[in-house]
Amino acid sequence: MRILDTLLGRTKLAPSKVDALFRISTAYITLETTLDMQHANTAGICIKIIPSTPFERLKGDLDELLQIARRDTATEFEMVKDQYGYLWIVLRDPDFEDLVTTLHLISSTLIESGFGDQLLSSVFKFTKEAKAIYFIYTYKKGTFYPFVPLKGRERDEQYELKLGALLEPELPVEKNRENWYPLWELPL
Amino acid sequence: MTQRKWYGKDTGLSLRMVLTGALLIIVYLAFLTLLSFYVDFIFLLVFAALFVFIQFYFADKLVLLSTGAKLVTPQEAPQLHTLVERLCSMADLPKPRVAVINSPVPNAFATGRNQKSAVVAVTTGLLNNLDTQELEAVLGHELTHVKNRDVLVITIASFLSTVAWFIMRFSLYSSLFRGGNRDRSAGAGLIIFLVSLLVWLISYLLIRALSRYREFAADRGSAIITGNPPALISALLKISGAMQRVPTKDLREVEGLNAFFIIPALSAGSIMNLFSTHPPVEKRIARLEEMSRSVERFR
Repeated sequence: MRILDTLLGRTKLAPSKVDALFRISTAYITLETTLDMQHANTAGICIKIIPSTPFERLKGDLDELLQIARRDTATEFEMVKDQYGYLWIVLRDPDFEDLVTTLHLISSTLIESGFGDQLLSSVFKFTKEAKAIYFIYTYKKGTFYPFVPLKGRERDEQYELKLGALLEPELPVEKNRENWYPLWELPL
Repeated sequence: MTQRKWYGKDTGLSLRMVLTGALLIIVYLAFLTLLSFYVDFIFLLVFAALFVFIQFYFADKLVLLSTGAKLVTPQEAPQLHTLVERLCSMADLPKPRVAVINSPVPNAFATGRNQKSAVVAVTTGLLNNLDTQELEAVLGHELTHVKNRDVLVITIASFLSTVAWFIMRFSLYSSLFRGGNRDRSAGAGLIIFLVSLLVWLISYLLIRALSRYREFAADRGSAIITGNPPALISALLKISGAMQRVPTKDLREVEGLNAFFIIPALSAGSIMNLFSTHPPVEKRIARLEEMSRSVERFR
């Protein structure tokens, strides 16, 4: 069918995958115990905005859902629009599990409302000796990759490779290094 | 599990592509049948195949060379790279190389023999005239060309057309300068010439039509990937509007690259739609407006 799509020039986006998101919960234990990493009480999700009424409605629904989460699990949230026209929902919660479940809830809500295509990535922030380490989950691939930014738009690539290799058994790590896209100016 | 989407199918567009493709195949088959009576043309077929393959294989390098496009690194053009990376991530495409052309004419193109060797290029005029969302929409259009492998599709579609063109030239020279001194008569040479001319003419028009449908498909793709059909509408309006204000000299410089561009640069008058590689901007906008409405109606 892919050949037919190419021949007819039909654009079909790969469906967003959400289930692998939960794998970060197990990987987190390894990160904490063997790598001495702490999670930074924050995670975020990046969504491509469709400037339209149905999308605004969805945003309203998400807001309601997150208000409930704030009451139930004390997960704080904030919605920010970045300079590229993407919506970031930044979550804050000392309980790592709550962060993962809330991100999963947001993702499934988007898919159920027919906006699954708009999911770009989820980002989990960790720290080790004042160094920020991010794990980025790409929805279209259903894989994770590490992102360790340094000063001046540089990346600690060696450390990223090491992390990727170490987490391989527990986390679906993105195989193609070229797809480890940086996310600069993260709002978390 | 299939996920619900705000956009539907464009069956009409698919049907047009199938019809154009089928007509091309019929014309080509008839042509090949006729050719098979003249065995020595096999040599021409191989020669043309080689010629077309080289052109196709080096598509990225040839176009980069002829446009003077310069590849840029993420450090040199961070915004452009981020936009491309995010769109590739959304569309699950390998990231193409990114290039910038130093020209005041606002335009963009994509080329390359496959998705991995693809290059997406934008002019400095485009970067200066469009805002982030419009630029993203144009990049979405170009990335859809890459995703749909349009360079490959058009190369295959035009292969026998190129052969017909070669034969047309060849038979003309051979009958004019050498007459019918071989085993075939001058009359046969004339028939071959006329048939090749006809095949070339018909296939040329069909390929132009196919190319226009691929443009509509790329517009659709951009709207789907970015989720922002209005941004592409305003980008198309800005590009075609700015094109009219650019000095004719600058336009003439880039005219040869029209087939690659998002909107062709034309320095004089308008040409008939039939011969154009791109559909008229109004038609493209009308289709994008239809997509805009289908986002709004989605629930």
